[in-house]
Amino acid sequence: MDVMKELTDVFQMVFDDDSIALTPEMTADDLDAWDSMSHVTLLMAVEDHFNVVFENWEIMNLPDVGALRDLAQKKLSA
Amino acid sequence: MPKNNNIGYLCTAYQCEQGRAEKTAFRWIDSDFHRTDVSFEYLNWESNRYANALEALGYGKGDRIFLYMPAMPEVHFSFLGILKMQAVAGLLFSNFGKSAIYDRLSDAEAKVIITKKSLLRRVRDVMNDLPSLETVLVVDLKDDEDEKIRSFPALLRGKGASYTVAPTDPQTPSVLHYTSGSTGKPKGVMHVHGSLEHQRRTVQDVLQLEQDDVYWCTADHGWVTGTTYGIYGPWCLGHTQVHFGGTFKTESWFKLLEQEKITVWYTAPTALRMLMREENKIKGQYDLSSLKRIYSVGEPLNAEIIHWVRRMLGKEIYDTWFQTETGGHMIVNRPGLAIKPGSMGKPVEGTAAVIAVDDKVCETPDTVGSLWLKKGWHSMFVEYLNIPEVYNAKFHGEYYDTGDLAKIDQDGYFWFVGRNDDVINPSGHLVGPFEVESALLEIPEIVDVAVIGAPDPMMYEKIVAFVTLKEEIEWSRKIELKCRIHISNRLSPIAVPSEYYQREKLPKNRSGKILRRVLKAEYLGEDLGDVSTMEV
Repeated sequence: MDVMKELTDVFQMVFDDDSIALTPEMTADDLDAWDSMSHVTLLMAVEDHFNVVFENWEIMNLPDVGALRDLAQKKLSA
Repeated sequence: MPKNNNIGYLCTAYQCEQGRAEKTAFRWIDSDFHRTDVSFEYLNWESNRYANALEALGYGKGDRIFLYMPAMPEVHFSFLGILKMQAVAGLLFSNFGKSAIYDRLSDAEAKVIITKKSLLRRVRDVMNDLPSLETVLVVDLKDDEDEKIRSFPALLRGKGASYTVAPTDPQTPSVLHYTSGSTGKPKGVMHVHGSLEHQRRTVQDVLQLEQDDVYWCTADHGWVTGTTYGIYGPWCLGHTQVHFGGTFKTESWFKLLEQEKITVWYTAPTALRMLMREENKIKGQYDLSSLKRIYSVGEPLNAEIIHWVRRMLGKEIYDTWFQTETGGHMIVNRPGLAIKPGSMGKPVEGTAAVIAVDDKVCETPDTVGSLWLKKGWHSMFVEYLNIPEVYNAKFHGEYYDTGDLAKIDQDGYFWFVGRNDDVINPSGHLVGPFEVESALLEIPEIVDVAVIGAPDPMMYEKIVAFVTLKEEIEWSRKIELKCRIHISNRLSPIAVPSEYYQREKLPKNRSGKILRRVLKAEYLGEDLGDVSTMEV
């Protein structure tokens, strides 16, 4: 599974924007719609898409998209 | 005395005339912490160019021009340019969804919207349903897309940096913010150029800024605080501001406070509560010796935050209260007034506030009633756009009814109690239940819905939704996600309910009106009160 491609689909769905092209370095500062208020919905959608559950401590300080990808990948491999 | 009442002029050319041409008007810090200093002279030139460009397209006095952008320098150039030409500047949060944009632009019959490429798709979704909307100006588009979607940089090319601001009557409309109510769509709150007198006075008396201060107001320009005390209040007195293009992160905010040697900081209780949660990241890590004091606005500042700020940062924090409609501080804490933690403070000079019970002024201390303000302060709103009957209903003789409940203690301090309507206040943003309910009803599985506000330790209030689903459908995480994404993109992420409860039916009176107070009492485990009118 190409986790980055799947994550891109989730971001596009949550933010209703087909033009979103994720890179590992991308942060909330790079995407206008991604703010602290939309973050909860985004993570819920990621959990739902990959059928995984994130613990609060795991997602409190995710620095960028690459870290979210790695976390999703780790959960999928577990 | 200034020769012109125009806010755009007073924040730029007038400052240059006062000898501040080279002084930094604002320091722009982008999300990577790159700095750009913008002097009052440059701010004057750029806003002149923006005014010239808009006039070249045929726009002018009275036209409504909306800004739909995140924090960026172009916000200030275009905002002040619009005001200089006596057009009306409408402000939108950059996280607004398509319904939120449509409702505001259609109500205001906006002719122009200024935006950036990343937000253009939402404008495209609604622009063909907005017959008054003639031009979409995109600040980061290289070339025009067509006759309607235009490149602002291309339009600015060759535009002169001089502009003569016409004499502006104080009653000339200036700024249009939308605010939510219990029922119906958001209401357009119109302010005028003469409002600046009140904002100038409160920057002096409440914020007490001095010429060498470095001031940071974290409020978005979509919010009334972001314009009044994040743009023109401080600039009309020549103060230096910092504007930040990054999102909220504990480390970023404290880095900025330290690096930029912020002396006066204006923020919101939700942000402070988030900082409290992560105090281990800041404890002893940052030198905030330049910071003199902090102000707060948007939600009541609970005593716990005041004590935390004193203990952790060694600073004093002052709560301020005002509304979109009041256009400036009304009841405040400020240096020179002893703080009673948890209190709103006292009315600013020139403002009279009273408590009313049964539509009569009540002078008995500690009586909870409606908070009324005596009419006549300079920044009082002049209309709710297109709904004069709603505007008139807000006044009782000489008093404006704020819609808030409060009390006054023996010492004349005001204490906020709550709203006397169903408007919800998550993190300082007012959300009308009707807007959220209307959007939720667009979800195919939902047949009936009611939303309420409930106390929240982080956001002050959260939105709680009660839904009735089609027969044989059970509430699921998938439906919740669908609701969340729909509300977020249609209205705004701030309007997304935090909790959802499925119910077989909703409590209504015999006319079919949803009894939100019954739902709220049930949710909070309180007595339901009078339910004699409830349909069973």
